[in-house]
Formats: sequence, C-alpha cells, structure tokens
Amino acid sequence: MKNHLKSKLLLSLLLTGSFLAASFPAFAEDLEHHHQHETAPSTPDLSTVSTDSLFNITDSWTAADGKAFQLSKLGGKPTVVAMVYTSCQYVCPLTVQNIKRIERTLSAAQAGKVNFALFSFDPERDTPAKLTEFAKLHSITSPSWVLAQGNESAVRKLAVTLGIKYKKVQSGDYEHDATISILDSNGVVKFQADAMNKNIDAAADALKALLH
Amino acid sequence: MLVLSCCLLSSAAAVSAEDMVRVEDMVLVPEGSFTPFFLKRDATNSSSVPTTAVKAFWLDATPVTNRKFQEFVNKHPDWHKSNIKKIFTDSHYLEHWQNAQGSADAADLDKPVVNVSWFAAAAYCEAQDKRLPSTDEWEYTLTDNERDKENLQKQIIGWYSVPNKELPAVRTKPANGFGVFDLAGLIWEWTADFNSYMAPPDSRNSGDKTLFCGSGSLNASNLGDYAAFMRYSYRESLKGNFTGKNLGFRCAKDAK
Repeated sequence: MKNHLKSKLLLSLLLTGSFLAASFPAFAEDLEHHHQHETAPSTPDLSTVSTDSLFNITDSWTAADGKAFQLSKLGGKPTVVAMVYTSCQYVCPLTVQNIKRIERTLSAAQAGKVNFALFSFDPERDTPAKLTEFAKLHSITSPSWVLAQGNESAVRKLAVTLGIKYKKVQSGDYEHDATISILDSNGVVKFQADAMNKNIDAAADALKALLH
Repeated sequence: MLVLSCCLLSSAAAVSAEDMVRVEDMVLVPEGSFTPFFLKRDATNSSSVPTTAVKAFWLDATPVTNRKFQEFVNKHPDWHKSNIKKIFTDSHYLEHWQNAQGSADAADLDKPVVNVSWFAAAAYCEAQDKRLPSTDEWEYTLTDNERDKENLQKQIIGWYSVPNKELPAVRTKPANGFGVFDLAGLIWEWTADFNSYMAPPDSRNSGDKTLFCGSGSLNASNLGDYAAFMRYSYRESLKGNFTGKNLGFRCAKDAK
C-alpha cells in the first residue's frame, strides 16, 4: 500500500509539476488555480451550517436500520468517517479495525460524544440487511455508529467531497482509496489519513482535539 | 443551425439515420466498445484486445455554454458566484463573469462555460434531469468508432501542445461521426467519475493491485495513447472543487 501511494505521489508530482506545466502551457493556468484555492479552515459559524461543511450535501442515504439518513444528522458531534463496501475482503475490514482502535483510545465519556460513520461504495449489493450483517461481523453494537448506503450519485458526490478515488471493476468489486476523515461537529473536514496506517495516534489526537 | 448540423452530420458514413435522432440538443450515441489506452499495454501477448463496453446514451451535442449556465444560475441562485458554498468550489468560480451582477458577458454567451467546479457541473446536469457523462462514455465518444482516427489524433495533439487562446463559440468546427461537437480543440471537460482509478476491469483484490503507474504508461508509444494519457492524467490531478480557465462540461442521459 505504501509503495502504491508512493508511486501515485510520484506520478502526480511528475505530471502536475514540471512536466505538464513546462511542456503544455494550457495546463499551467489551471494548475495555478489548483494551488491558489487552499485557504486556512475558517471558524465555523454555529448558528448556521458552515459553507464548507459536508452538511451542505443533501443526498438521502439509507441506514442499516432501513431509515433515511442525511449527512447533517452527524451534526453536533465530531465524526470519524470512512467509505467501505461489505464484500471487500481486506482493505475495508482493516479500515473498520483501525477506526475501532481510534474508538478504544477514547474514555467512555468521550466515546459517547463521537459519531462513527461508514458509507458504502456499493449501491447494488450493500442493502441495509447487508450493512447490519457487516456491523455484526465486526462487533459494532454502539449506537454511536452508523452504516449507510446511497445511490450511485450520492456515493460519487461524497467520495469527490472527501477526495476519495474509486472505480467499480468488472467483478463488481471496487478499487478505492482507504481514507479516514475526521469531521468537526459542524461537518467540516479537519483531518484525513490513510486508513491502512497502523499508527492511529495522529487520528486519535485530531479527534480528541475536537472534544476539548 | 439545424440545417447546418444536418449537413455536417451527413458526412458521417457508417452511421444509420436512426442512430442520429436528436432531441433538442442531445445526440444518441449508439452502444459500442472501445479500448482505453491503459489496457492496450497488456494486450500485446494475448490474442484479443480487451475492450470496455458502453451502453447507448444521450450526450449533449456541445459543451454547456455561458448562456445555458446563466439560465441555470438565474433559476438556482444558490449557484450564483456570490452565493456558492465554499465546499463546492475554489475561489475562481465563474471568475470570467466579471460585471457587477456577476453574470455572463453578452459576447461570451455562445462560448463554453468554464471556471466551474465538478459540483457546479453536476448540479447543472441534475437540474436538467441529466447527469455528467462517465469517463468511459466520454472517451468512447471521442474515439468516434475509430473513424478518421489519424486526423483526430493529430488534431488533439496539436491542440494539447499550444496554449489556449481566447475561447471560440461552440459548434464552430464540424461534428464527429456521432454528431457530437467540440470534444477536442475547445476545452477540457468534467466527467462524473473523474476521480476514478485507471484500473483494468479484471483486477481484483482491492487495495493491493496493479494500479496504473508512471513507468507503464510512459511506454505508450502511439500518439493516440499519448493524448489519452494526457487526458487521464489531467483528470487524475483534479479535485471536485477545482475550476480551470479551460475546464467546462457537457451533460449526458441514459438511453431509456
């Protein structure tokens, strides 16, 4: 995985840096755009939904209990978010395990003040029943957790927002980034890390910082 | 304009009249298949070249213009440049709409809209009960069933290698064999799944798989592959909130 990330990074650097900009002036302007937009995270306005909040995405999802679910329901508490699919053999179970490791670093009082949310890549196979089965398999019993599935467009929009690349392959499986994101109580992304990273300290610290 | 496009379309041999049915400004692209360039390198030792199948779909004949996007913004003020939410764009959204009202210049109405993020493009298409085309659909349409392939490749490479001058209006050059205008030579276009991996369709074991990587692709030897490599790499470099002076979009719809 590390190698894979490294080669991807190398490729992006090679491409978006010197190569494209130097040889193809048409790219240069766009790239300039890309770099200028990075602004410091602003202080969220508590009275309204912050304009850089995920809660501005209004797609409807279905939770494992069969009820409609919207991202804004995650408001009020910080949330640990990942995208997975239940027939995934290796990466997704590991992602869940790592999120649970983050959960275990919290005191009982802290754990009640955090949401954990898993969104499925797989609109076809991940029915609410499948999500329930997956939760059981991973001993997810706490009410702090939500597992949800949405249609193709909702999945794509959430993945684009979180900067997660994925592709459905012919077997019906998904090639995907494994990313853990931490949202503050207003739905603003505050921290992201590779979900395969065994060192979860940084993620746990980022989460605890949001708990004051 | 209709008369003009009829004449242009008639030059497309090998496509039957019913494949060309137009509803408003959309073109029905017939089902077919194409070989994405990143699959070709694996095909040298096998007897059959892997292809990617694409179902028939409707595609806007041209990129969305400033005129059309203005109509959308008028109806959906959330997407006005002064109202758009930060999560949906960088700070350059519609920055070429420079008048006091933040609306399109009269002189630009028939030019393709640019400086739009993926979110804005997707919202526009949804508002028309359409969607963004998939990368496969877009690339398949560009290959034009390999009609006039050499010429197309020269045209694309020629365009990629010069800086963009002022944008021309849409439909100023002939349509391709499907009846689709301006896929090459005008702007780069968003696709629904621009944030896809260029993974071979038969790969399994998510996580540790042979992803497209630099050394493999740089072996791409022919011009068409090289041009495709540029497009896929460009898409790979994008994020949903990015905008670009040469980046616009068109919409698609399922054929049902």
